[in-house]
Amino acid sequence: MIERELTVRNQAGIHTRPASMIVQTASQFDADVFLQRDNYEINGKSVIGVMTLAAEQGATLTLIVEGRDEEAAADALEDLFEDGFGEEL
Amino acid sequence: MHEPKTFQKDEITVAFMIEQLRETVGVEVEPVAAGGAATERAVTEDNLHRPGLALAGYVELFTHQRVQILGNTENRYLRHLDAAARRQAFRNLTQFDLPCIILTDGNKLESALVQMAADAGIPVYRTSLPTVQFMASLRNFLTDQFAPQRSVHGSLVDVYGIGLLLIGKPGIGKSEVALDLVERGHRLVADDVVIATKRDEAILMGSGTDLVQHFMEVRGLGLVDIRAMFGIRAIRFQKRIEVVVNMQLWDSEKEYTRINMVEDTHEILGVDLPMVQVPITPGKNITVICEVIAMNYLLRHYGYDPAEVFTERLQRRIQSDGPPTPRRGIEYFEQDYE
Repeated sequence: MIERELTVRNQAGIHTRPASMIVQTASQFDADVFLQRDNYEINGKSVIGVMTLAAEQGATLTLIVEGRDEEAAADALEDLFEDGFGEEL
Repeated sequence: MHEPKTFQKDEITVAFMIEQLRETVGVEVEPVAAGGAATERAVTEDNLHRPGLALAGYVELFTHQRVQILGNTENRYLRHLDAAARRQAFRNLTQFDLPCIILTDGNKLESALVQMAADAGIPVYRTSLPTVQFMASLRNFLTDQFAPQRSVHGSLVDVYGIGLLLIGKPGIGKSEVALDLVERGHRLVADDVVIATKRDEAILMGSGTDLVQHFMEVRGLGLVDIRAMFGIRAIRFQKRIEVVVNMQLWDSEKEYTRINMVEDTHEILGVDLPMVQVPITPGKNITVICEVIAMNYLLRHYGYDPAEVFTERLQRRIQSDGPPTPRRGIEYFEQDYE
């Protein structure tokens, strides 16, 4: 199991487009993906779930990945956050 | 396996508690002293306290962090004292950081004492409800507020009055089954994110989130709003979670139950719910399976267990002396050759 802290960097936060990017990326992997905000946790392969995090710019989320390809999944998702989902930082 | 986190509220404000008591619980409560900023004080636990001993001067172990209730006994005790002693007794309370004081059963507080509470920044309220009744309502409300909660990835649908929680791997078709159930007249509580709240020891209540409500994501379609599409009869805002339906790809290695529908349990917040494993195979109508699961649960709930009934019937046949070959269910066809 991998656990990483991720920060939302783009100005608009995780709105619908970044949410679907996260889910699309997570769904490419076999591993289970979870995102936590404080003690609220959702499945990273659910668009509705990711959107309920209502994560604004600067919000810190905990990424939890578990499964045989967890390393690759965690890296791919971290890149996505680092890149600000390709949006304005 | 990763354990999902649970969360619960650490505190609510007095103002929120009073507002909710009025609006959702339906209890009349009116302010007596210290409005404004004082009502932002925090209530941090669901227990209530009647501070009889504290009024009498014994404040050791005084649970001052709880909502303080002054009923008939406490008020009569205060009234039987002379003015100076009364203020002294009341000071025993106001020296602490109380969240608030509530007078029950229509009791009134002398204005000097009301002023003392106001000076200490402690909000005071009164209600005409009898003490025991008011405490039961308030306690019930607070227990719910501070109850442990957890988000569950799945869909919650009310099927014939039974709360079915559909779980399974992403992409297995939970939302599609939920949609199909709604189409057949059942009611959606929440899709994808269900907030489970524990009530008492063995009851789990489910609801959606305030953000999503009855929106649903259907792969290939995007977001749809069930309430807007199907109307008010297709939704609910809360439902007890009673049965878990675990949808999974058919696994030929796995032995599925053939006789008893419910053998497994699924644990959420320490509550073990009956779980039915439903393997997904081509040509299988999961919606109908869900309806049958709900109806079977209802039958069992009202004391009829089909597996047990059939087992007994078979037992009797084995032990009886009749012919061993199966007999036709009908002895004689009436003149009805349709």
